[in-house]
Amino acid sequence: MDAIFLKLTAFAYLIAAASFFLYLLRGETASRLPTALLLFGFVVHSLALVGRFFQEGFAGIAVMGHAMLFYGWLMIGIYLLIQLKYRLTILGGIIAPLAFLMTVSLFAVSRSADEIPPGLQSYWLPVHVTLAFLGNAVLALAFGVSLIYLLQERHLKHKKLTALMKRFPPLESLDRLNYILLVWGFPLMTLGIISGSLWAGIQWGNYWSWDPRLISSGLAWLLYGALLHARLTAGLRGKKAAILTMFGFCVVLGYFLWGEALFPSRHGGRFE
Amino acid sequence: MRKDIIIVGLNHRSAPIEVRESVAFESSYIRDALGRLHEYPAIQEGVILSTCNRVEVVAAAGDCQTASKEISQFLDEQRAQKHPESLDRHVYVYQGPEAVRHLFRVAASLDSMVVGEPQILGQLKQYYDAAQRAGTVGAILHRLFHRSFSVAKRVRSETGIGSGAVSVSSIAVDLAKRIFDRFDDKTVMLIGAGKMSDLMARHLQSSGVSSMMVTNRTFERAVELAENVQGSPIRFEDFPRYLKMADLIIGCAGAPEVLIDAATVEQVLRERKQRTMFFIDIGDRRNFDPQINDLDNVYLYNIDDLKSVAEDNLHERASEADKAEEIVQDEVRSFVRWMGSLEQVPTITALRQRFEEIRQREVEKSLGAGLKDLSAQQRAAVDDLTTAMINKLLHGPLSQLKKQSTDDGDEPTLYVAALKRLFDLEDK
Repeated sequence: MDAIFLKLTAFAYLIAAASFFLYLLRGETASRLPTALLLFGFVVHSLALVGRFFQEGFAGIAVMGHAMLFYGWLMIGIYLLIQLKYRLTILGGIIAPLAFLMTVSLFAVSRSADEIPPGLQSYWLPVHVTLAFLGNAVLALAFGVSLIYLLQERHLKHKKLTALMKRFPPLESLDRLNYILLVWGFPLMTLGIISGSLWAGIQWGNYWSWDPRLISSGLAWLLYGALLHARLTAGLRGKKAAILTMFGFCVVLGYFLWGEALFPSRHGGRFE
Repeated sequence: MRKDIIIVGLNHRSAPIEVRESVAFESSYIRDALGRLHEYPAIQEGVILSTCNRVEVVAAAGDCQTASKEISQFLDEQRAQKHPESLDRHVYVYQGPEAVRHLFRVAASLDSMVVGEPQILGQLKQYYDAAQRAGTVGAILHRLFHRSFSVAKRVRSETGIGSGAVSVSSIAVDLAKRIFDRFDDKTVMLIGAGKMSDLMARHLQSSGVSSMMVTNRTFERAVELAENVQGSPIRFEDFPRYLKMADLIIGCAGAPEVLIDAATVEQVLRERKQRTMFFIDIGDRRNFDPQINDLDNVYLYNIDDLKSVAEDNLHERASEADKAEEIVQDEVRSFVRWMGSLEQVPTITALRQRFEEIRQREVEKSLGAGLKDLSAQQRAAVDDLTTAMINKLLHGPLSQLKKQSTDDGDEPTLYVAALKRLFDLEDK
């Protein structure tokens, strides 16, 4: 049953992504449709998650081969919340294709949820995974907002004013949104790391280990922390802030995508 | 009598400004003018348009040739008070579908001096309302104008004809809107208190800027402009100290030297915690160091940049105008069809009446002569028979006629005219 839901979700995200691109090409007239499609995808996605949750428990939706399912769901949910307030339809153009790829990637991995080592089955699992994913999803959106900021900034600096740019929000709004996402994303990420550390402490007796995965998270955490600090005290903003935000996300993502093969981690819940 | 639409007038292409001015109608006299127009016998409905780029009379009339002469005379009387030269050379006349097309193009801002400028639609509505209040609008012009308003809206929403500012001050404001998301918490500094500064100030104010500083070499003029725009005047030698408070800096001092260099701006940025600054250099001579644009969170546009944006936008508008012309053509077709259908109704009625008369006459004749022995029941049957025949005969041609008015294709009025001629029908 949830396989049908998942296919429908992927399909809805694909159509939404296509309509976002059409919106970018054609103009304001169709601006509500892509968001509506995305919302539809999100609802079906939620149903699929609920179905899975009752079948296999939290592990079935958020860990091992299925992390993307939960992660993508959080990302789209947060985007839809942002869209409610900021009308940042263009961000959907970045998020929708990502969500599509995440959903499709599920069909590539084995269908059944991998067994979680019994030692890791505890109440800490949903707490840690949810917090870490939430923080990460918020920062993924900050990445998207930063990308739009840099595009807009470049156009304005080089005085190339294309029609596409008219659908970009003003720099000031983008920078503020970027800041708001950082203000939310960083504490969530911090809580994710703390909960993981506590869990490790209880499980294994040591709160921190120099595991590659933990190192990359720690690096990104330091980077975001420094960025937030500089924003608050030194008035760092605009282009540099956007570049740093993107860089921080690349540190996290880069390890998930390529680093793991080189430096195996004993941390569970790989994304592939 | 068949009514048609006629437009007589002159615009920015057909007549120079002094001629247009001489014919222009002041808005306070428009009611009187409409009254005078309506007194001409051939003019059944009339609307006067009078903007700085055009003076036109849109009328509905039965006899278009006479109406055209009357309107020319009407305009000429208006002109005679102020200008010696006759209008003949400058006046154009549009009639029927051409007139419909012209009005639609005007409403859609395709006939404007700056194609796509949005004011014309409002002006059109205003003059239409005036005519309606004066009672010179009937069914045809009512429909024509309302149609033209929706054509204008359609063109605006389906094409990019109105997109992209084309004047220096509106482009500057447009750019500022891409950098800042709100203006009520921003401060503007105007360096130079000339006409351009004044224009910029007003443009910015209408976008929500409330805080302004004005500086000028001659302090008195700064005070003057500051009063006009409710800003605060600043002495010229003091302005660098106030720079850190300004988000938007507009330079049109006409000074031969660079007034603000990149090093100063760098210092100012530190003082204002890197908050974004937007410099607009609209004077002929550059007052701001071009290297300012290389700093982070700072944008500098000079007059050439703004003008090249204007050119790009005009190009874009021109290509969108082709799409708009197609929409107009489409709408003209459907309007002309409607005009045709207006005429159909009386023609159809007249045709039916004509057939019915003939039938009744012939039935009566026969019942009085060769068929006088028929019973009442048989008489009724004859009546039914003949009525059915007439209906069957008319059904084909009439449904074709109605179909013509809803299909694309030949002008429906052609069929109506043919019917009138063939059956010798008179309008009643």
